[in-house]
Amino acid sequence: MQSNHTEKMSSLGLSAWYGEKQALVNVSISMKANSVTAIIGPSGCGKSTYIRCLNRMHELVPKATVTGQVLLDKEDIYGPGVDPVMIRRRVGMVFQKPNPFPTMSIYDNVAAGLKLTGMRRGKSLDDIVKSSLEQAGLWDEVKYDLKKPGTSVSGGQQQRLCIARAIALQPEVILMDEPCSALDPVATAKIEGLMASLKEKYTVVVVTHNMQQASRVADFTAFLYLGKLIEYDETTKIFENPKEDLTERYITGKFG
Amino acid sequence: MDKMPRLMDMGLEKLNSLLLDMATLSQQAVSASIEAYSRGGKGAEVKQMSTRLQSLHRQVSDLSMEMIARYQPVATDLRFLKACLEISYGFFRYGRYALDIAEVLDMFGDLSKCDRKFVVETAHKTQEMIRMSVEAFARRDVEMARKIPKMDDVVDESYRNNLKKMLEEKGNLKCSLSSTLILRYLERIADHATYIGESVEYISTGVEPPA
Repeated sequence: MQSNHTEKMSSLGLSAWYGEKQALVNVSISMKANSVTAIIGPSGCGKSTYIRCLNRMHELVPKATVTGQVLLDKEDIYGPGVDPVMIRRRVGMVFQKPNPFPTMSIYDNVAAGLKLTGMRRGKSLDDIVKSSLEQAGLWDEVKYDLKKPGTSVSGGQQQRLCIARAIALQPEVILMDEPCSALDPVATAKIEGLMASLKEKYTVVVVTHNMQQASRVADFTAFLYLGKLIEYDETTKIFENPKEDLTERYITGKFG
Repeated sequence: MDKMPRLMDMGLEKLNSLLLDMATLSQQAVSASIEAYSRGGKGAEVKQMSTRLQSLHRQVSDLSMEMIARYQPVATDLRFLKACLEISYGFFRYGRYALDIAEVLDMFGDLSKCDRKFVVETAHKTQEMIRMSVEAFARRDVEMARKIPKMDDVVDESYRNNLKKMLEEKGNLKCSLSSTLILRYLERIADHATYIGESVEYISTGVEPPA
């Protein structure tokens, strides 16, 4: 695959289990810096498990295990002595359902992660909150309502608030797990537009079961089926001329 | 994973059926105009066929756009739709050039004293290319599609040779002008047969024709 992008993150022979049940089988994907990589596949194919392995969230599930490597800037995040909390700071995550902290204001939702790292309220924190909300395309909509609860805004705004919360920690990679599946088309279009602008600064990996969304937003697309990587290529190639028959059948809806 | 019927399949079948209708009609239109030229007629029926082909081309174009808007097709489906637009345009052009030939016959009148052998031979080669393009599409026969460009070279050469001959000889202006015009239309039909062959290959392999 030819690409001008350099690699930011990759999985090498990544396998994952929930107890005895294997969810991922030897998955190797190279995610390019400043690009959007989409992970597609039918329900239960392992796409959410895959991205949860990319910031060591998979191991938070009881009896969940991982083998293989995940490289972030060529260093294995599962290597000895690596602090998973630091990894989760460098590799942020946005979930399917908007989940702002319900008791916190909009401001505090964005500032929460930084406060946990010891940052005090002040101008620099204000600046980061503003910058994060701006990057999430939300500042103009909430700048006079920063003290209102995070849950008082619409679902689409809540999801952008969660993106701002992730951005505030200044991550290098942003993982999104079906970020639009609970949103209406207008809110979805805003998040998709946001992905395109976020990749200028971050590396974005998005799990989606909406293939049209993958074709719209992603530079690269990986198709997983039954925990295995079936095909990974530039998005235009996957959606115009996939190499694998299984990919063709899935994206054209010819699956039984 | 068994094959399940999809909403899009009905539209794809309709498109295929429209294109096969266009294939038959465009073949008939070109045959009628060549027949009129070689036997001395005017090909009056070609006008109606050409108009019908234009209408069918619009139907294919509208249905393709509707399917893109409604189903956001990908992979083979997307390539088929893209190729449908090209192929439909090719069949429409076959009909349009057939009409151009008929208009030459109408305008120039009696050509019975002209030596038409060379033009008729080239016309038969062009008709064979049309037949191959139609068959390649109907059967998605990539091997047959790949044979068409070689025949296109032959028709191109016939056109060029005729032009040189006409420039060198001081023959009957009516004869030389009519044969040059008709050969030009045949040469263009042959080009469209080649494009249709390339589209058939694109549907099956995803390989884009050379720029």
